[in-house]
Amino acid sequence: MSATPQDDKNLPDFGAALSEPSAGQMLRRRVFGHTGLVIGGTILLIIALMALLAPLIAPHDPYAHNLANRLVPPIWHDWFYDDPRATWTHIFGTDHQGRDYLSRIIYGARISLLIGFSAAIISGVIGCTLGLVAGYYGGRVDMVVNFIITTRLAMPVILVALAVVALMGSSLTIVVLVLGFLLWDQFAVVMRTLAMQMREFDFVTSAQALGCSPRYIIMREILPNVLNALLVVMTIEMANAILLEAALSFLGLGVQPPLPSWGLMLSQAKDEIFFDPWMITIPGLALLMLVLAINLIGDGLRDVTSPEGRS
Amino acid sequence: MGSLRRNVLLAATALVFSAGAAFADEDRPLRVAWDFEIDNLDQYYNTNREGIIFARHVWDALIYRNPDTFEYEPLLATDWEWADDTTIEMTLREGVTFHNGDSFSADDVVYTLNTVSDPDSGVLASRNVDWIESAEKLDDYRVRINLHEPFPAAFEYLSEAIPIYPGDYYREVGPEGMNENPVGTGPYQVESIDPQREYVLVRNEDYYEDSPKGIPAIRELHIRTITDKSTQMAELLSDGLDWVWRLPADQAERLERRPGFEVKFGEAMRIGYMGLDAAGRSGHEALQDVRVRKAIAHAIDRESIVENMVRGDARVIHAPCSPFQFGCDEDAAVKYDYDPDRARELLEEAGYGDGFEMTLYAFRDRRWTESILGYLADVGIDANMQFMQYFALRDLNHEGTTSAFHMDWGSYSIADASAVVSHFFKGSPDDFAQDEELQQWLEIADNSIDEEERLENYRNAIQRITEEVYWLPLHTFVISYAFTEDLDMQAYPDEIARYYTYSWKE
Amino acid sequence: MLRFLFRRLVMAAAVAVAVSLITFTLTNFASDPAIAMAGDTASAAEIQQIREREGFDRPLVVQYADWLSSAVVGDFGYSYRMRVPVSDLILSRIPVTMMLGGAALTFAIVLAIPMGVLAALRPNSWIDRTALGVAVLGQAMPTFWFALMMMVVFSVFLGWLPASGARSWQHFIMPAIALGYYATPAFMRLTRAGMLEVMRSDYIRTARAKGLRPHVVLFHHGLRNAIIPIVSLAAVQFGFMLGGSVVIETLFSMPGLGFLAWESISRADLPVIQAIVLVIAVFYVLLNLMADLANAYLDPRIRIG
Repeated sequence: MSATPQDDKNLPDFGAALSEPSAGQMLRRRVFGHTGLVIGGTILLIIALMALLAPLIAPHDPYAHNLANRLVPPIWHDWFYDDPRATWTHIFGTDHQGRDYLSRIIYGARISLLIGFSAAIISGVIGCTLGLVAGYYGGRVDMVVNFIITTRLAMPVILVALAVVALMGSSLTIVVLVLGFLLWDQFAVVMRTLAMQMREFDFVTSAQALGCSPRYIIMREILPNVLNALLVVMTIEMANAILLEAALSFLGLGVQPPLPSWGLMLSQAKDEIFFDPWMITIPGLALLMLVLAINLIGDGLRDVTSPEGRS
Repeated sequence: MGSLRRNVLLAATALVFSAGAAFADEDRPLRVAWDFEIDNLDQYYNTNREGIIFARHVWDALIYRNPDTFEYEPLLATDWEWADDTTIEMTLREGVTFHNGDSFSADDVVYTLNTVSDPDSGVLASRNVDWIESAEKLDDYRVRINLHEPFPAAFEYLSEAIPIYPGDYYREVGPEGMNENPVGTGPYQVESIDPQREYVLVRNEDYYEDSPKGIPAIRELHIRTITDKSTQMAELLSDGLDWVWRLPADQAERLERRPGFEVKFGEAMRIGYMGLDAAGRSGHEALQDVRVRKAIAHAIDRESIVENMVRGDARVIHAPCSPFQFGCDEDAAVKYDYDPDRARELLEEAGYGDGFEMTLYAFRDRRWTESILGYLADVGIDANMQFMQYFALRDLNHEGTTSAFHMDWGSYSIADASAVVSHFFKGSPDDFAQDEELQQWLEIADNSIDEEERLENYRNAIQRITEEVYWLPLHTFVISYAFTEDLDMQAYPDEIARYYTYSWKE
Repeated sequence: MLRFLFRRLVMAAAVAVAVSLITFTLTNFASDPAIAMAGDTASAAEIQQIREREGFDRPLVVQYADWLSSAVVGDFGYSYRMRVPVSDLILSRIPVTMMLGGAALTFAIVLAIPMGVLAALRPNSWIDRTALGVAVLGQAMPTFWFALMMMVVFSVFLGWLPASGARSWQHFIMPAIALGYYATPAFMRLTRAGMLEVMRSDYIRTARAKGLRPHVVLFHHGLRNAIIPIVSLAAVQFGFMLGGSVVIETLFSMPGLGFLAWESISRADLPVIQAIVLVIAVFYVLLNLMADLANAYLDPRIRIG
């Protein structure tokens, strides 16, 4: 969440790594030799597959309710506590509405990924546009963008998100939009710094000499060269968006039921923490794994694309 | 392995709990938690439930309504009567003093009533006082209250909804001073309100002995605001609190099985309902068709929701008011049983055989609303939930932008159907029926002093509301109280916690 | 130096105005204050009366100008719901949030700096990997989940710490850990990266070559230089914690700014929301300004003229 001037110091690495021709091969070797990246990638792949194949692998309809069959404990309650209600029919038990918990977790992967992705894309578009334009043009434009960035950073994210969602009402779309419009600061800061450096590079100055439009230079010359950094920031913001949605859900203002987002399931199970702790543990672990995987990938990308990578 | 660890944990928790039971005398403070902070301690500028409870402890009203028998009993007034349709005369109790030492007399009553019934005072619960035209002093212990027009529910409002302030003090400090340092005649007086919003109340040692509220057995009350239910549970389980209420039924039932705790359920005057925009204020097409509204009524299995989700002896209701309220005749209501096939038929007839979309606004318990959504989905109605905070939702209702809403209403604990039916169907910003005949019946029912006439007109109103499904009445509310087992407490139907009746077990 | 300070102050003021303008517009757009003020039983006519009395029918720009001109002298108006001056409310709630933010920051730094230093001294060792694990975990846990788990273990099962409130220092332990843990990874990474960079730099090599003892080199030269970015980060993070404390304060029922903000949001109490956002924004800008000054003091090389 921290977009500080200090982040800039590590950034030249991205550009440097890319300007070396041998980087491609090095990269591949580094990616697969990087434990964190491999673990994170595997987890994310599993979760993404779960989301994609949800209709095929979910044992039940995640929305099929049965109030007479609510709060069935998960199967391990049969093993450890001899609870006769726990059966293989509902491996993870059922929730307050008697819906199959495992199926909701599987479908929940879709919602949580969707939130993370969409929010990161929206904020990426806003942040990159601002950052690249500011970095490329410099001067007055840069001053204005810098002011916008500082203003955004000075606004407390959770509070503003809460206020907007509480007063306007909450839905998947609104949550994604609010998060997207609040989380672009890192993109802007990083892109601005990179664009500033690229402006001095030969391929940019020669394009300028050839009379290419600034729009063309930014889109075709600069953007492709900062994609790696973009990916890293993207992972950070995805993780942020997912956690923020959970925080909004905690206060009842995230995604609305009956949609099964993991953040929502987590917050709906919090009252159960003393008597049915499995209810909060399952979505909690799922969310933890997802954010962990995204962070590991982000860290990994940062390592392998920088020449001083730790592997 | 698993059960061993659990036993160890249980043993550890048992140890922690036993520590609190060391002293069981009247000096042991009662530590309770409320869900919301009181907006303003001056009762007339407050609308939340917590403030109402606070007021019943710190102030007395003129009349007391016995929560068990529903009879009126003398509190600050010892005698009262209608002089005519628009005039009430009351005799006041002598020898009562306020917490600040001022003695109570007719001047205090006159000043309080005239101040708060002034339309410019900006009081929030104006409905409680706007029927008063003026109050005048007859002698030191007799007052006369003049009404704008006949208002048969007057005594209901005079009992408890209108606390009496010390006139001189209130004149001097105003609402702001009353909020900072409340002074009344009630069984408890305010010891401290610290910046952390913890209220400490101590017993009023000079409280008049024949008050129907009785002399409190517990000397000190510590009241904290904890908004999160799991935090309240943690405090209760770790002996940080003695009493909480409104736990979800699931948790309350599980807690009951733990040693050291007791749980009580008390049915309240609060009712749950689903409001439907029949008048089309929000512009929703389908809901303006009565067949669609009837389909919704048939689609929802209220019995199952009550039995499995609400629990704790709550009842399904068919009339749009509480069974505890005067004028609430359940037999006048049109009853809709759970019949999804009939619901689909009705939708088909109305031309919505393929279902339709709607937004259901809600604020209380998302799980209950979720159940409703589930049943609506079963008959093809694609309802999505818009969960909001109560005040935000209330404002949207007043703007008229909500098409359907799942809400509840506690009637400010006024045991008269006017406090709910008339509130919602007499043309206020809350009225989504805009039914003029209905409004006329309610006008008569509210203002007639003939009980039979009142009953008949409320019956008409109830029948119309349910026949047209302006509302789908859902169920009564059952409030859960969870507390340490050495506390002796009684639950009342009006959702008012009366700590002055609590005591520690010997 | 003075010119720099002046420019930054103007910038800070401009940012504060921009933030307040955005908040004012957003909240007024989303909610009708007259309806919010009127209460449960108001009629449409009463609502209109309030709208006129309070001037809510004026153009938003005029209302904002009015609000801003009072706000600059510390008058944020009255809370709709509590009917007390907003400034009093905020002043009474600031201490808890400051203490919480301070404690959380202290926790994060105390945990992160030693781990970061050790990790930098032995890159890729088990210390480095453990530190990395702790950091990655901290960033992946939903704060309220972590906080609830702590509450269950330390309050309910062990009975060591009070579950909620803000009456004593013990009350701050769990909230500070929950709030601070999320910030720990950022500090650790920065310390580690800073230490690595400094250790490789010429003047540390020189210091070593001069025969200075290793820990003298480490603490006197290395850490001193690595700490400069930490100061900036601390300022930024403290600002974030003030804003981010809403979940923690609500869960632990601590009467701070975050809790007040949440209560005000749930009651559509616009003057309080606007004031809190503005106060936090001003804090953020001022902290950054102070961090810049502190850096200029710590590192003469970046003194700005």
